[in-house]
Order: sequence, then structure tokens, then C-alpha cells
Amino acid sequence: MKWLKPPQWPNRFLQWYCHPDLLEEIQGDAFELFYRTAKKNKWKANLQFVWNVIRFFRWKNIRKIKSTQTHQLSIAMLKNVFLVAFRNFFRQPAHSLLNVIGLSVAFACAFLILLWVSFEFSFDKFHSSNNRLYSIVSHVEADGMVQSYPLASASINTSSVPEVEKAVSISTGSRWPHILCFKPESINSECVYLEGVYTNQNLFSVFSFEIVEGDPHPLNRPDHLVISQKMAKLLFKDGQAIGKTLKVDSREEMMVVSIMKDIPSNSSLQFDFAMPFAFLQKEWGINEQQLSGQFFNTYIKTTVPVSAEVLSAKLNDERVLTKELKEQNVRYQALPLKDWRLKNHFEGGQQLSGRMEYVVLFTIVGSLLVLIAVINFINMTTARATTRAKEIGVRKVTGAFRSSIVLQFVGESFLIVLVSVLLAALITQLTLPLFNSLLGEQINLSLVSGFLPFILLAFLLIISVLAGLYPAFVLSSFQPARVLKNQLSARMTGSHRLRQSLLVVQLSVAIGIIIFSGVLYRQLSFIIEKNLGFDRSNMIRVEPTAKLFNNFGVFKNELFKDPAIQSVAASNTNPLQAVGGNTDVEWPGKPKDQRIVFKTIGCSYEFAETFGLKILEGRNFQPRPLDSLNNEVLISEEAAKVMNLKQPVGQVIRMGSSPCVIIGVIPDFHTESLHALRLPVILHRVNYMHTSAIYVKYRPGTTQSSLAAVSKAYKTIEPDYTMKYWFQDDTFNEIYKTEIIASRLVLVFTLVTLVISGLGIAGLATYNVLRRRKEIGIRRVFGASVSQVMYTLTHEFSGILLVAMLIAAPFAWYGAERWLTGFAYRIDMPWWIFVVTLLGIGSAILLIILIQGFKTVNVNPSKTLRNE
Amino acid sequence: MKGTNLGELEELVLLMVGVLYPQAYGVAVMDELEAQVGRSLNISAVHAVLIRLEEKGLLKSKMSEPTEERGGRRKRIFLLTASGKRALEEANEMRNQLYHQIPKVAWQFKMI
Repeated sequence: MKWLKPPQWPNRFLQWYCHPDLLEEIQGDAFELFYRTAKKNKWKANLQFVWNVIRFFRWKNIRKIKSTQTHQLSIAMLKNVFLVAFRNFFRQPAHSLLNVIGLSVAFACAFLILLWVSFEFSFDKFHSSNNRLYSIVSHVEADGMVQSYPLASASINTSSVPEVEKAVSISTGSRWPHILCFKPESINSECVYLEGVYTNQNLFSVFSFEIVEGDPHPLNRPDHLVISQKMAKLLFKDGQAIGKTLKVDSREEMMVVSIMKDIPSNSSLQFDFAMPFAFLQKEWGINEQQLSGQFFNTYIKTTVPVSAEVLSAKLNDERVLTKELKEQNVRYQALPLKDWRLKNHFEGGQQLSGRMEYVVLFTIVGSLLVLIAVINFINMTTARATTRAKEIGVRKVTGAFRSSIVLQFVGESFLIVLVSVLLAALITQLTLPLFNSLLGEQINLSLVSGFLPFILLAFLLIISVLAGLYPAFVLSSFQPARVLKNQLSARMTGSHRLRQSLLVVQLSVAIGIIIFSGVLYRQLSFIIEKNLGFDRSNMIRVEPTAKLFNNFGVFKNELFKDPAIQSVAASNTNPLQAVGGNTDVEWPGKPKDQRIVFKTIGCSYEFAETFGLKILEGRNFQPRPLDSLNNEVLISEEAAKVMNLKQPVGQVIRMGSSPCVIIGVIPDFHTESLHALRLPVILHRVNYMHTSAIYVKYRPGTTQSSLAAVSKAYKTIEPDYTMKYWFQDDTFNEIYKTEIIASRLVLVFTLVTLVISGLGIAGLATYNVLRRRKEIGIRRVFGASVSQVMYTLTHEFSGILLVAMLIAAPFAWYGAERWLTGFAYRIDMPWWIFVVTLLGIGSAILLIILIQGFKTVNVNPSKTLRNE
Repeated sequence: MKGTNLGELEELVLLMVGVLYPQAYGVAVMDELEAQVGRSLNISAVHAVLIRLEEKGLLKSKMSEPTEERGGRRKRIFLLTASGKRALEEANEMRNQLYHQIPKVAWQFKMI
């Protein structure tokens, strides 16, 4: 029986939690039962023992923490603790300041990230029924490729789905007719371009956009419109807009019936005015039936919260998804609107995490920053512990419990963390505008809004305990007899191993962040500098009007009066962001089963010249009126290759139903962001009326005068309008907005990481050198050279650095590689960044140590050694 | 405390302590409950009831000599107190009283 023993860990657990008065009988009962069962079955006995221990874990049996005889926290004691904390804070101002600065910079970054993350999560949650709102996505399958659009048919009929309370179609866009010219009340004013939507009455009952004035159920008459408060203030001097008429696009008169509150910045749907679909019909010149064939953003409000899968299944029912759509391989999917912002990225019909990835990335970065700062704090506090040794000794001798000393030091760290948090909150509020402009967002939150104060409070408590607990235990473990006899040893400053590991963690985090952001930065500059194959700089894109197209020749002539204007073209697709593709292309010798996606761009004859596309073979389009019988096309080299044409020029291909003759070959160029693969391109001529934008190329360095010239030429044809234009470069930046913002943020946080870990390493190295002054003195006396002394000072750090590098490199490599796979065109992993980071950090540490070291080494050893 | 009313399990345990005199302790009470009444209980439940009864003053306890089968640990031996005896008597009496108040006709199991 003796050789059988109950399992140790539950027994230990029992001993730990059990009230000492009850332990003997309880343990006895458990053991007795164990031995009894163990005679029959050892396994069963073990299980039974564990079970009994768990069952004995009751409130009555648990050890109660008794308050000790004397009060730990008398007011006088507390006062003394705070007084000492303050004195200490000011006795070593440099040390305290270093601590506070490091902590507060890290906290400020973490707070900014916290604000941003909560802003991202707050999107579309202001709608009172946000858990019942869904957005519909259409997945269209064609040639094995699935394209996803946040749209649904305008004629969608959800009346067969019992859960749907209301649905609303909203037509949005970033061009005419969604951006329209409005003129303020004052005479002779210029156009103000404002963005709006076309929709029906359901808009204001599905969403919680608040109407502050006028008809609460607007949009039921074709000539009614709703405008925002901002727009009312902009257009009407006194802001009194209800009942007044507005000239929309300088032509149509509409009556303002309601004013809505400005849409908050954390809404995915942004607009300044809302008009009924009737206006859109008039602008597009389509009837009711043609309108119902269109696709618009569609939102559903259900009566009860339902799962998105269930709703999606019901939307794909025959009664909702009509036969015609099904034949076109359309599939609907409902997505909760509250998730829309973070997860609206689709690829191949699958939902990807999209923005969520960046939210996660920066949450990690923020947490790591705080971790680095806290490690700094712990290291610096324990390293300096010896300076407090006597105080602790005296406290203990006069009867302080260990617990009260722990409390004192946790209290001190709480004070420092509190100061840092307050300072960080201040920094956060001050830098928020800067952060906003960096992000290009309008974060309308502050640290005191919503539930954030509670997070902050929890943060404060957790961090101060985290940062204070270990130093407190180290400091309170001093034995007064030895301390007061001045027998200080290195062991008294806590575990050396632990401090080294903390330093390793800190350095690995810093190295990881630096490497990752280095790769990120390289890739982004690769994209931005990559030759897309065509010219995008020094180009203005002008929103056309019908009159402009009708008088294109005049417009062109006016433009060329300014020598800075180089060329003008029109096309139906912006080559920077040509979405979709065309598989309906036939060529001689095309295999039957082959389906290749082409980008087909309809353009005017000046296109190739304007975008700097050289003609490699054949000739360009000719400047003569369009000949409908003789369609001419230019194809890219890649297109010639996929068509396998040796002599492309002169060959006849078919696009859709019309035959076209290839007249020339142009170089390859990218037509989408570099996330996607480059596709073969076919340029074909279309009428000006069928293009969507005019592109004006000007000489570098003449931006201002060229813009003025374009504007003037525009005015001669459209005197009533103000020109709406974009720079192609800005559009380009817009395409990579998320990446550019991410790279800016990463750059900022990398700097902060460097500063904080630099502070930490500097503090620690300084302390280490000072601590070893006598050692250095003795070494010098015995004839060590300066370089030998330097070696002993630095070799510890170099080991730590190498270990940190070994830990950080795989993580950084994995993270960077995963991020890079999102791009179709990407750099190879730049290994030199790893080397440069290692060398850079290594030499920085070396420099810090050497500077400190030289100061000490050059002191005459007799001075350092005399001081006993 | 909810008066001196005895719960059903409390009454059983109290009776067992009396039955097992002078060797009533946790495991023994548990075993006896299973053997005599057929109630299979976890030791912790029995222990909790014993402690509760002691707090109510119906039991008192002392520690025994160390025993081998418990790894050299002592048992807590429970004994009835005077008020424990009273409580049992009252419970018994009340039950009998009520039992005798049942009219004869009720034993014919008929609805009127």
C-alpha cells in the first residue's frame, strides 16, 4: 500500500486552497478513499481522487486570507509611502524622466491605435437597428472567375422572405451624376461639387440617418431632395433651406423638403444629399424598366436579427434571385452591415479579412510597444534597486511586513504609470489631428467617449501591477541585516537571467518590427516606383459634359493655345483602375476551349500618344472620324503573344460581333493595382460620347498654369459649370491608400520602437558600466588594455543581440512573406534588411556602451578604487 | 440560519452519526448512507453536511488518533449533542403525529 500514492498535483492544489483547520480531515478522507479504490484499480483511484479534490473546492473549505494583526494601510503609512515615492521621483530626475518618457510615448501610440481600432469597429454601429441591417453582395461567375460587387439588382423583390422588414436600393458613385454642381445662393458663384445618392423613401426608415428639419418621410416626389446640414449651410446664407428650390447641375430645379444631420464619419455610406431615382432616370435618359435592370447598393433591414447565412440562402431562392440573374451565374450574399467596414474584401467569391488584417497588425504593434516600454521600466527599476536598499532595510527593521513593502513599490510604479498614462492621454489628444491627417480619416472619438475610459482604467491597473510586481518582490526580498552591514551583492538586484531574457524579448520585438517595416516599405516603394508601362504623371483627368464632347475640337484648340499642354485624349476606362475584363475576343487560330481575359479600352485616337505608349509595330490610330465598317485596334505585346500571332498587324480579330483589324502593337502596361496580374490589352476607338473622361497631358513643372489653361478652355464651352478634375497621381495614391497609410504608420511606430528600446538599452548599459567601475579599475591596474576592458563590457550584449536576432528573424520573415503574397508583383525577400538591422542595432548598442565605457576607463583607477 | 429545521439529508446524516457511535466520521457516514439507505453521495457533500450540522450545534467533534489507512492523518469523529438528540426526537415525533392524523379512509386510495 505504501508504494501507491495519490497524484501529486491535485494533492498540492488541495493543500493550497484548503483551510488549514479542515485540511487534515479532508485530506484524510480523500486519501482513505484513494487507498481503498487503489487496491482494485489504480486509474480509477486517481480519477476519484482528482474528482474529490475538485468537489471539496467549496467556499466553506477555502482558506480565507486573514488580515494581519496590524493595519497595513494606515493613513500615516500611506502618506509616507507617497512622500517617499515623490522624493525618489525627484532625487533621480533623469532616471524618472527616462522612465516616464518611455512609458508615455509607448502608451500614447497604444492609445492612438486603440482610438483607431475602436473607430474602425464603431463603423455603422450608430444605426439603432445595426444588428438587423445587411448589405447584399453579388458574386458573378464568368469563365471560372468570380467577381464580387457590393450591388444587387434594382428590381430585387424581397417580399417572399418573411424576415425582411424593408429593403432599399441606393445608387452611389464618385462621379457624375453622383457628384453634382450646386451653386450657393450668392450671385455669380462658382460650383460647389457635392456627393449624393439616388434612392427611394425607404432610405430613412432602414437607416438611422436623422432628419432634423422638414418632412420626416421625404423622397416620395420626383422633385424633392434631402440635404445635409453642412450642405444647407454651404448653399444658403442663413441655413434656412426648407421649401427653397435648388438648381441642381445648373439645370434641374429641385425642392429641399428635409434637412438631415450630417452623416457621421464612421458610416460606410457617405452622402450630402439624397434624391429620388426619378432624377437619375432623367439624367441617364432611361425609363422605369431600364432602371430596374440596373444594379445598385442594396441594404436590407430584418424584423429580427438573423444569421447572414440563413438570409443569404433565402436571397438565393428563386423568388428573390430571378431566373435571368441565375442564368448569368449571379449569386447573392447578405453580409451584416456592422462587419462591412472591416471585411468587405472579396476575392474569387470568398470573403477575405480586408481591413481587419491591418486592425490586427496594428493591435499587435501597439501591444508590443507597450510590452517594450514595460520591460524597460522593469529593467531600470530592478537595476537601480541597490539605491533603495538601505531604505528597505530600515523599514524592515522597524517592523514592516514584506507585503507592505511590496505594496509600497507597486504603489510607486502605479504613480509612475499613472503620470505616464495622463501624459500619454494628453499627447494622444494633441496628436490626434496629426494622426487623422496621416490616416486620412476623421476619427470622431476621444479617450473619454463611450467605454474607452474603462479600458483605460483597466489598462492603468494591469500595467502598473505588471510593471511593479517583479521589482517589488525583488526589492522586498532584501535581508535587512546584510543590507545595513553594506553587504550588497549583484544577486540583490534580481535575477540576472531574468533581466537578460527581458532584454532579449525587447530586442527581438524591436528587431522584428524594424525588419517587417523595412520589407513593407521596400514593397510599397517598389509599387509606387514601378513602371506601369504608361505615363501617369503630369496628367489631369477632366469630368466631361455632353457639350464638351460635342465641341471636342474647339476644346482641344483652346487647350493647345497654351504651349504647356502636350496632348489630350478621351477614354472610357482609366488605365489606372480598369476593372473587369472581356473574354469575348476571337482571333484566327484560336483554340475552341481557350478563354482568355482581355482588358478592352475604348478610347479616342490620341490615347497612345497621351499615355506615352510607343507604337512598336504597325501604326497608330489616324486622326479622322470613326469608320464603323473598318474598326481598328491596337493590341499590347502580351495580347499578340497570347493570340500567338507572328504578324499581328493586318490580322482581323472579332470583339463581340464586330470584326476589327489590328493596326499596331503597343507595349504591355498594367491596368489595375499590382495586387492583380497584368492582362493583355486591346485598344479600340470609340466615339467621344462613349468615353468617360478626358485626359490632359502637360509639361512637367507647369501644373498651375496648365490647370488654369484647362479650366479656361473648359469655361469657353461650359460657362455655367466649374470644372471637375482630378490629377492622375492622386488617383494612383488613392488606389494604394491603405498601403500608403499603413507604411506611414509603420514608419512612425518603427521610430517609436527605436526610441523606446534605445532609451532602455542606454539606461541599462549606463547602469551596467557604472556598477562595474571597480571591476574596470582593478582590470586596469592589472594591466588590461582599453580594448580588453571594452570587450568584457560588450560581449554580454552581443550574445543577447544574437539570440534576439535568431528569435525575431523567423517571425519577421513569416509576417513579411505573408503580407507580400497579397501582391501579384512583389519584391524578393530583401535579406540585406536582416543584416543591416542586426548591424545597425549592434553598432548602436556598441556606441552607447563605448561612450559610457570610455568615460569610466579613462578615469584613473586609483580614484575609483580609493572610494571604499 | 434557517431555524432549526432539519433537511432530509441532514436528518439522515444526523441519524447515521448516532448509529455509528463512536466511530462516526466522513467516510464511515458516507459508506453507511450507501449501505443502509442506498444513497450514493460524494464525500465532499457528506463533509459539508457534517460541518453544517456542527455549526448548528447538533453535532460536536473531536480528532481521533492518527490512523494508518489515512496516511497517518487523524479523523474527525462526530458525536450527537443534546440539541442534536432533541432535533431528531422532534423530527420523529412530528412525523409520527402527522402519520397518525391520516384518516383511515385515505388508505383506500379512492377519490371521493
